[in-house]
Amino acid sequence: MDFLYNYIYYIGAFGLILIGLYILLVKHNLIKMIIGLSILETGVNLFIITLGYLDNGTAPIFSKENLESNMMVDPVPQALVLTAIVIGLAVLALALSLAIRLYDSFKTLNLKKIKEQKW
Amino acid sequence: MKEITYINPVLLIAVPLALAFIIPILKFVWEKSIKWIPVAGFLFDLIVSITLIPIVLQKNIIVKIGGTTTPFSINLVVGPAGLLLSIMISLAGFLVAIYALKYIQEGDKTKYHILFMLLLTGAIGVVLTGDIFNLFVFFEVLCISSYALVGYLGNRAGIESSIKYLIQGSIGSSLLLVGIGLIYGQYGTLNMADLAAQIKTADSISLFVPMFFMITGLGIEAAIFPLNSWLPDAHSSAPSSISAVLSGIAIEVGLYAMMRILFTIFAAESFMGFLLFLGVITLLIGEMSAFSQNNIKRMLAYSSIGQIGLIVFAFSIATASGLSGGFFQMISHTLNKALLFLATGFMIYRTGSMEISSFRGLGKKMPLTALFFTIGTFSIIGLPPFVGFASKFLIFKAALAKQELLFIILIAVIILTTVIEGAYFFRIIQTLYFKESDDKSSKQESAITALIPMFIFALLILILGIYPNWIMKFIHSAASELLNKMSYLRSVLG
Repeated sequence: MDFLYNYIYYIGAFGLILIGLYILLVKHNLIKMIIGLSILETGVNLFIITLGYLDNGTAPIFSKENLESNMMVDPVPQALVLTAIVIGLAVLALALSLAIRLYDSFKTLNLKKIKEQKW
Repeated sequence: MKEITYINPVLLIAVPLALAFIIPILKFVWEKSIKWIPVAGFLFDLIVSITLIPIVLQKNIIVKIGGTTTPFSINLVVGPAGLLLSIMISLAGFLVAIYALKYIQEGDKTKYHILFMLLLTGAIGVVLTGDIFNLFVFFEVLCISSYALVGYLGNRAGIESSIKYLIQGSIGSSLLLVGIGLIYGQYGTLNMADLAAQIKTADSISLFVPMFFMITGLGIEAAIFPLNSWLPDAHSSAPSSISAVLSGIAIEVGLYAMMRILFTIFAAESFMGFLLFLGVITLLIGEMSAFSQNNIKRMLAYSSIGQIGLIVFAFSIATASGLSGGFFQMISHTLNKALLFLATGFMIYRTGSMEISSFRGLGKKMPLTALFFTIGTFSIIGLPPFVGFASKFLIFKAALAKQELLFIILIAVIILTTVIEGAYFFRIIQTLYFKESDDKSSKQESAITALIPMFIFALLILILGIYPNWIMKFIHSAASELLNKMSYLRSVLG
């Protein structure tokens, strides 16, 4: 059980990444694929957060007294994830607006039925 | 030592970024002027980049943003390789922006100009940054603007390709981010030079996994063989001015980021043998698919895949002359493909069709456009005295200098693809000049604002083809910057 306890966040993060990839590979409905993309991105963000996470850690404020450096949470991954979330939001918004346009043009969201462009 | 004064390279990114967001405000004040904003922005970038050349040839310029010392601050590293690409990006941006003055007639033009500027700003950011997370952010700026621009016309093909591109591109970015996370988890730094100092060789599994994630992620944007199914759709459905920058700039920037990571951070010489084969397969598949196309833009898009394969091959030789050949081929591909797409744009505009058969007799009806198109095709096939000949020659020379049987076989394959390339491009030339058209409409050229950028591209192709030595010194120092990890480290960490 120790293994599970130590690595539970990593397992969860990569689980989410794999679920997202599975949805993207298997589903044909565009909305479902966008949901899959969102889960994939959440997994990646969770993974990066975990890198700097510490149980009962505090914010790295160096002027605070009685604070050792091994009690602080690494702030860099959190800054990275903040940026990554914003980027993910932009991609999600663009994907959803394209989904609306796709439905307007083709009257379907099933990507299996849309085959005008091919090799 | 005398301190040399130069314009801060941050402005290369900051000015176009600021101008891009001034456009929507300017729309309410003076709507006619917005289409000139990209022209002004990239002209500025071009001039600044060119003035930086003599300084960068002596030593890399390091810009520390935030004022702290290097491994902790976000920094820009302006070396010869980055500056070379930044010049190409701003040159292409400037000329394509001039072209777009007349070419972009439909849709919301404000959005077009904003996205166009953001796309190229992202590209400049990727080539100048010295920090892998910043690389990811700029890369996303580039990618998101290109997803939106592919669907800009809003027609069925555009929306479908844009969706495809978006889904594949986002998976790629997520993989890149996982790779960055794994690297940060092991080394606790995001600075490329700092990472390079800590990583000696990429042979251990704990380094191979993040490298694999990052290469796959960037490989989707760079359109290397198994990851390139989005490219022909996206590049053929975008407006021609956007296809020109996507083909000429975006995929090469992806490739540059990949090579920067492989050479500078991981020093992965052992991985290069694998890329060598991927490059040749990409080349072969791209050219063979291009051969069977009837749609001109799809043909050019497949030809871009082929050219990317050739550049990958050149970089994978991993010698100084191989890298020089790769950089030269990048320059030549940017010039050739931008010229071809720009010329094609007005030819399609004139005939109203992308089918090659509809271009019959255009050589008489649009003599200048057809001439520029012909120069572009001759150069991309590699006929002297155009720049394509010089770049292909350099690559062959570098590969033969290895004196291994493998390289001789691969060179034979590449020469075979050049023959295929010649076959399908000469077919278009024949259609343009030697087939009579049915309709007897009068002679009408492209708009003058489209002919000027095409003329400049054609002129550069010719000049660099005749005097390749003018830029060889610059290219050699770009190649040695990428190959020589230690000098990069010293220049950044001090």
